[in-house]
Amino acid sequence: MMHSRTLSALSLVCLFALLLASLAGCGQATEAPQAEPTAASPEAEPSAGQPTAAPTVEETAPQSVVIVIPEDPPSFNAIVADTGYDAMVMELTMLGLTDIDPEGNIFPELAAELPTVENGGVALDEEAGTMEVTWKLRQDVQWQDGKAVTADDVVFTWNAISDPATGTWMQGIDYIGGVAKVDDYTFVISYTGIYPGYLTQFGAEQLAIWPAHYCDPAQGFTAWDCARTPLSDGPFSLKEWVVGDHMIFVRNPNYYRPDKPVIDQIIVRIVPDATVRKTMLLQGDADVDVWTTEPIVDDLKDKPDVQVSISPHPRWVLRLFFNLAAKGTVDPVASPHPILADVRVRQAIRMAIDVDTISQQIFYGYGTPVWTELFRPPYACDIARPEYDPDAAAALLESAGWIDQDGNGVRECHGCLNAEEGTPMEMELITYAEFGEPMTLSQQLIAEMLGKIGVKFQLTVVEGSVLWATAADGGIEQTGNFDVDLWDDGYSGTDPTDFLWELYSAAAAEPDYGWNISRWINDDWNALLDQAYTLDEAVRKDVFCQMAAILDDEVPSILLFSVINADAHSTRLEGIQSTTFDMVTWNAEEWSMK
Amino acid sequence: MSVYLIRRLLQTVALLFLLSIVLFALVNVAPGGPLAGHGQSRHVRPERAAILMRQFGLDKPLPVQYVIWLAGNDWMRVDADGDGIADSYGTRKGILRGDFGFSFRTRQPVLAEIGQRLANTIYLMAVTMLVALVIAIPIGIISALRQYSATDIALTTFSFAGQAIPEFWLGLVLLLIFYAWLKNPFTGEPLLPPGGMYTLGAEFALLDRIKHLILPVATGALGWIAWYSRFLRSSMLDVIHQDYLRTARAKGLSERRVVYRHALRNAVIPLVTVLALDLPYLIGGTVFVETIFAWPGMGRLYYQSALQRDYPMLLAILIIGAAAIIISNLLADVAYAYLDPRIRYN
Repeated sequence: MMHSRTLSALSLVCLFALLLASLAGCGQATEAPQAEPTAASPEAEPSAGQPTAAPTVEETAPQSVVIVIPEDPPSFNAIVADTGYDAMVMELTMLGLTDIDPEGNIFPELAAELPTVENGGVALDEEAGTMEVTWKLRQDVQWQDGKAVTADDVVFTWNAISDPATGTWMQGIDYIGGVAKVDDYTFVISYTGIYPGYLTQFGAEQLAIWPAHYCDPAQGFTAWDCARTPLSDGPFSLKEWVVGDHMIFVRNPNYYRPDKPVIDQIIVRIVPDATVRKTMLLQGDADVDVWTTEPIVDDLKDKPDVQVSISPHPRWVLRLFFNLAAKGTVDPVASPHPILADVRVRQAIRMAIDVDTISQQIFYGYGTPVWTELFRPPYACDIARPEYDPDAAAALLESAGWIDQDGNGVRECHGCLNAEEGTPMEMELITYAEFGEPMTLSQQLIAEMLGKIGVKFQLTVVEGSVLWATAADGGIEQTGNFDVDLWDDGYSGTDPTDFLWELYSAAAAEPDYGWNISRWINDDWNALLDQAYTLDEAVRKDVFCQMAAILDDEVPSILLFSVINADAHSTRLEGIQSTTFDMVTWNAEEWSMK
Repeated sequence: MSVYLIRRLLQTVALLFLLSIVLFALVNVAPGGPLAGHGQSRHVRPERAAILMRQFGLDKPLPVQYVIWLAGNDWMRVDADGDGIADSYGTRKGILRGDFGFSFRTRQPVLAEIGQRLANTIYLMAVTMLVALVIAIPIGIISALRQYSATDIALTTFSFAGQAIPEFWLGLVLLLIFYAWLKNPFTGEPLLPPGGMYTLGAEFALLDRIKHLILPVATGALGWIAWYSRFLRSSMLDVIHQDYLRTARAKGLSERRVVYRHALRNAVIPLVTVLALDLPYLIGGTVFVETIFAWPGMGRLYYQSALQRDYPMLLAILIIGAAAIIISNLLADVAYAYLDPRIRYN
């Protein structure tokens, strides 16, 4: 009896497993999310993704490009989660008012032209310190369903973003007083101040204009279904999305540019492992690998069927952030950092780091040395590159009162500015884990270089979610619980004003209010920042370069080098150009196959 | 037995309730937070953080967050627009009414996202465990019957290797061999696909599904084969020295009948219990296999949620996983009692 029971149980287990296998295998549960369009369905309406029902590549033999990325985009609304992959698919399907080319030139998309003071598109009220921008839309752009893109869509998008319950924050939102329709193809944005970044505020890689007749405002801007099943006005439309597996985009027949896009279909495949993505590229099963890292770029450099597009201008700069307040505090005046509050120490550390060696040894020579925040157009300033001179660094530390009298290889305070006599020159150098091995190796190499001039570092690696958490969540930087941090940062777009405010302004030094985690306060610099909020480009360039000079003297942080911004692709694909201002799909309508 | 079952089910409910408190607290008090690194920019502007906190419900004290997570907030007034006035009812129903909230990352309902992945993971893991069993049982039997022979030593070595080889390494090596290096001599195409569940755009074909299963199943099954075969070997060795087998042989039964009818059936009982305990793996998936072979399953979803501090997703997966473990334990107990009449629960 017992024997038959055993067999029955085993059989049941096997039967259960087989049943599940056959059900799952046949059914494919990963459907693309569905929206309920409020208007007549367009011809190429986004459909639920039953992969087995998808039209096959073999059936029509379209020109098809396969892009591999490690994770699904959260949605097509890039400003909500800002992962980059959302911007990538948004660029395929949705248009903004403007976009930015790889050289940093702003060009109109939905806009008929760029409004400026010169062409009367921008009206300044000098007395009140306000401005009004009048935008005119192209009149030949249609949504996928044939309806025109109008000023109603822009007003609808603005109302959705600015809804306090379901909207989101975007740069410069506080400057906008309102968006008003003038006629079907004209609208005015009123600003309560002078906002220099107005040209890309409703475009670039951040924001698209959403269809008023299709999206459901009750669902809210950040969660509406139309951001998962978008109605396209861009070159491609979403045909199928099987979450975790792939997305298929086909030509949007209503795209306003004649004969564009050139290729028929783009398939985005989700391939989490970087080695597998590289192998697929080499085997010809993928055409584009997005955000290719330095080790893989180096691996691919001699491969005949693959080439790498490198952005002409980088964005992400590896940098050291100094804490000018004592560790665990946030007031650099009341409790200055015993070692780093002295500018000579910061200057010495900068002189002792061999940036070129780190770039060559760890980043395969693809890092571009960067030593000022204002390093790329249109605001590239002529700041002299700091010299690598460990001897001069050691001498500077000696003059600052940091001397290794006991000969143990670590300097101590002997007449220094802010520490007690005998305090050893020991600090903690923190970086974050998610970047991977190149960052931790850089951390080690920097510590080794600084160790040679008698500055000792204890190395710590934490998760980004711990390093950058809010003060309320115990974030290391917001609570000032660090000495020196190493990570990468840089501003998107062409306007650095907001970024500079975030990182260096006095207001941003307050915990949980900004990211001046160095707690560096400089009145002259803050006065210059106020002057930067103007539309006079000549003034802006001058002001930014004065600000760059102060930062160079004061060294609240050390910029080391920019990491590569590259996308590997097969040589059969033409017209592709990586850009730091956008995702690689920014000009997908121009791509063609050999 | 029925009294026992009712008691266990009641205990399960109580245990799940306690677990919900522990898991909620652990996820929320872990260092860091979901707003850090939200997006490409490493730092979130405070204005943006304030909106996210409110929309995610993180602006309330932890006990209140727990109550809302458990019982929803559609019965209480909330301040949805951040003006300091609680003037509208919330929209959350709470997990007790089947609402696990929305993902911080995608803003989509958590259960819908899990549903998209769960069937894929069950599919992969069921086949993996089935293949592992089919291979492990003969290995276990042969190892036990030929204890300390060259075959036993070879199979034991294989088992230890199977347990020792990390999945991420094995997966990549298999991928290199069968995708990058070995080609179909007739078509020149890779012998096996690099990942995914099926060939994109192709009609449903069983052979295609099997081809996509081979590498992930081989990678995932090796460890299970080692584990089950070692277990069965040990169990068989316990059984084959029992008196009743000697009696069976003395009665003149053939060795084949002694082994398969009398020894194996008893040796397999503990294995069935172990199998029941391993059932949670069916829904848990495996991070490495799913990552290397681009399998859209639960393992990847969990890993991504943990990295990105997607609390609602993380909690849902943890709670469902905990429930599966508790239920599988109950199943194991019941199965044991069913298979072995000597076991009685009171």
